[in-house]
Amino acid sequence: MAYAAGVDVGSTQTKAVVIDEQGRIVGRALTMTGANVTRAAEEAFAIALADGDVREEEVEYVVGTGYGRYKVTFGNTQVTEISCHGRGAVHMFPNTRTVVDMGGQDTKAIRVSARGEIVDFCMNDKCAAGTGRFLGAASSALEIPLDQLGHTALRGERPVKISTTCTVFAESEVLSWLGKGKKIEDILLGVHQSIAGRSTGLAWRVGIEPEVTFTGGVAKNIAMIESLEKAMGMKVNVSDDSHYMGALGAALFALDHIFASRTPAATRGVTA
Amino acid sequence: MSAIRVFPEWRGKDLDGMLHAVVELLDDTEFPTVKRWREAGGKVVGHFQVYFPEEIAHAAGMLPFKMRGAPIEPKHADSHFGSYLCSILKTSLELVVSKRVELELFVTHPICDAARNLAAVFGRNFPYPCQILYLPQNATSPAARTYLAGEYARVRDLCGEIAGVTVTDEALRNSIAVFNRNRELLRKLYAIKRETPWQVAMHEAYALVAVGGLMPREEHNELLEAVLPLLETRERKKHDRVRVVFEGGFCEQPPFELIRAIGRSCYVVDDDLLIGLRWILEDLPVTGDPLDALAWGYLERSSYSPVQHDPRKQKEDMLLKRVRESNASAVILAAAKMCEPGLEEQVAYVHALDEAKLPYFVTEFEENMTSYDTLEIQLETFVENLLFV
Repeated sequence: MAYAAGVDVGSTQTKAVVIDEQGRIVGRALTMTGANVTRAAEEAFAIALADGDVREEEVEYVVGTGYGRYKVTFGNTQVTEISCHGRGAVHMFPNTRTVVDMGGQDTKAIRVSARGEIVDFCMNDKCAAGTGRFLGAASSALEIPLDQLGHTALRGERPVKISTTCTVFAESEVLSWLGKGKKIEDILLGVHQSIAGRSTGLAWRVGIEPEVTFTGGVAKNIAMIESLEKAMGMKVNVSDDSHYMGALGAALFALDHIFASRTPAATRGVTA
Repeated sequence: MSAIRVFPEWRGKDLDGMLHAVVELLDDTEFPTVKRWREAGGKVVGHFQVYFPEEIAHAAGMLPFKMRGAPIEPKHADSHFGSYLCSILKTSLELVVSKRVELELFVTHPICDAARNLAAVFGRNFPYPCQILYLPQNATSPAARTYLAGEYARVRDLCGEIAGVTVTDEALRNSIAVFNRNRELLRKLYAIKRETPWQVAMHEAYALVAVGGLMPREEHNELLEAVLPLLETRERKKHDRVRVVFEGGFCEQPPFELIRAIGRSCYVVDDDLLIGLRWILEDLPVTGDPLDALAWGYLERSSYSPVQHDPRKQKEDMLLKRVRESNASAVILAAAKMCEPGLEEQVAYVHALDEAKLPYFVTEFEENMTSYDTLEIQLETFVENLLFV
């Protein structure tokens, strides 16, 4: 049994996944990226190996992805996170045609074919208004831990309208609503809906075709799932492994390489 | 013929050393070669993008300096322009306001609403002549060639007056010959890009072209004559990369680092970067009326850009021709932020590429941008998709 691995070095967190020849996840890891990107990748890979009870030498091919993909120095090659999220999403949910990947620093909308090929994609520009960073600003302004934001927001009944498009100013707008006596739940629900609205706008740029799969760290947030479904007017697929979708896609590309290298040379069109 | 040489750094070096010197020169926002030219007593014509008949300035013994902006902070120039205007206008003015470059004549062209006013903006700030060269809007009019030769005669007389010389037809014909040689060498460089793109990186080819606007053309010819044979015989590994055409560099230039980043992802086998320096496609006659020859070249033997409107050269057709002739399989469609002509043309390009079923990647840039992560990820994804499918 051979294994393949994908290491997704994101701006905030590093994820690693080890898969078997059937494409099943056997080991996974999540670490904070921090300042030493290469070390973060190595750590995540080691933890994923331990999690799957797989020895390093059993992993035939490793693909790095994410912002720090070129820092996965032990990897064999690199593939961008756009390709990887598309591939991972179609693997998890084969009817996926649109992927919304919401990470800490950026949001991507990706349209994919049935084979997981990228048909079109777009990313938010310099502005982080539709990203996890925006939630971070709200979390800090309202002094609520990130992992409790979603549950708190779902208690909101009369969401406020967040008008700023700038993460830097989001905090002051949130504080301004607090000053006006608005409930924290309503403010938070407004923040979630604002992000969902911007992400949906981004997705319309590539065309929203069902099924939609929501990936990335922010897909763990239940209020964001609900807000996104409301903004898009349809259910979205969310996996328990949504966080690992980029790493999974990278591992699947690695698996492709393993299978291709096993194909007899003549079949690959190589005559030498 | 100019005897002044302003760029000794490349001489006596091997290929890598020469290319390094060229890149260093292009990176230097203090424009040392232009300063050296002036220190040697030379005068400078600053000509704004896209095309200027540099042969005329050359024949007057002046240095035609290609004003293509620069990656500098427009500290002073910002106050002269609205925030909605493109960066190259501001940084071109900043170059002279900050005295990085000093001129004796500035010439611009009404290539867009913003550039149309550039001569007036310069004129209010500097004592030397700041002129508009009116290139014909209707290239197919029977009067276009005569009219343009007349405009060139006006520029010739102005250059002669500033330089204190009479610009003779003989001097003009000599200059045309120098520039013919330059055109031939640049065509060779682009042939290397097209036929063996692994031999010359995108940023190296770009730098080799761009420095032509910073030195006497004879010196540029000497540089290219030394570099090109070495590029052809260089031992470089051929990679499995997508061949693309880059379109969108006719006026404001992408940052050099961005050009490097694009070159890391794919082979750029043709482009419109600094197309004004390569505007005339063939050798011009070195006999007869030289101004008429220049006018004929502009109208009849020229490339294309979003700022020239010639019904014989529909730009989307010209782009497809460029793709075909370079055997490219995809196109990068870029436009400078706030560039109306560039962004408008993208629409026609996109339609034509869709119809031709050619993959393309659309993006925007700004000469002062410093972060390329997002663009690199998108470009790499585009390339990955082409390679994996």
